[in-house]
Amino acid sequence: MNAVLPLAVDESLPPELRELLNSPDGPAFEQALDAMVRQREQHLFRALGQLARELHDAVRRLGGELAQEGVPGIVADARQHLQDVLEMSANAANRSIDFAERLRPQADSLAHNAGQLLQWTGGDEPAAVLAREAAEFAGDCRAGLADMVLAQSWQDLTGQRVKKVASFIGTVESSLLELVRLTGALAVGEAPVDVAKVTSQEDADRLLSEFGF
Amino acid sequence: MQWSRRLDKNMKILVVDDFSTMRRIVRNLLVELGFSNPLIQEADDGESALTMLRGQPFDLVVTDWNMPNMTGIDLLRVIRAETALKGLPVLMVTAENNRDQIIAAAQAGVNGYIVKPFTAVTLKEKLTKIFERIAASGASA
Repeated sequence: MNAVLPLAVDESLPPELRELLNSPDGPAFEQALDAMVRQREQHLFRALGQLARELHDAVRRLGGELAQEGVPGIVADARQHLQDVLEMSANAANRSIDFAERLRPQADSLAHNAGQLLQWTGGDEPAAVLAREAAEFAGDCRAGLADMVLAQSWQDLTGQRVKKVASFIGTVESSLLELVRLTGALAVGEAPVDVAKVTSQEDADRLLSEFGF
Repeated sequence: MQWSRRLDKNMKILVVDDFSTMRRIVRNLLVELGFSNPLIQEADDGESALTMLRGQPFDLVVTDWNMPNMTGIDLLRVIRAETALKGLPVLMVTAENNRDQIIAAAQAGVNGYIVKPFTAVTLKEKLTKIFERIAASGASA
């Protein structure tokens, strides 16, 4: 074995590795290899933890910037804003439908009255001309109102997208906390903290501080 | 329960959608098509729709797909599985327009499928078609 191994050892390898590969002591070789792998893992976990922390700081900074511009920036508030958008757009859509519901009977009554008038007059009589115009307008009005009501379905379609974004924000928030929890637990060898218990900004900050962030 | 075999202006219709504006829009369009406003009722999800369907007779259900508690497709499946409700015509009006979902609805026994946004003309066409098909299957049975 010893005669073969040195041939496989590349000159470009670090000296400690070359020494290890030439070592006849099996257990010592494995131990040293384990230590090297562990060291690499520690670096990786520390790097991940650092990344998570930087990400968290970035999110918090973004929140602070938004707050300075007069928009409260924490995630819960972001969700509340989306909820407000839903309510405001629903109110706007409802107002438009209110108009349509109020005007529709008036259009019907105008059409009815025009019809009645045309039983008494006709031809080029000014009243007949006006009655025909009124009837035509009432019909157009009804069709236009129906289109306007239908156009309000934008509220439902945009609302569904807003709901999806709100749920996405929640997912991002819990994924970020989970990442911080995992990297923290691995780096310091502590038992993982139940992520389901994290419900507020204070919980998140406390959890982060437990892992030295 | 006896279902209306044809498109009848005095049908009892249940409109199911979690967005109140959408329920109002569908109700408005149904009224525009000549259906009686007081005979149209509303539910905000599949669960409350089911309670209403079990409590009183309806001639048609117009339902959204994506709703909390019980979705439109689950509501459809329960309706088809219950002896007292299985013949009830169900029209799905939804923003869900991917192929798999349309196939799932068809397999679950939906009578019609309208993708939002839609027009009053589309609604009328689908309703007419639903009741034509029901009348045809009733005649051949």
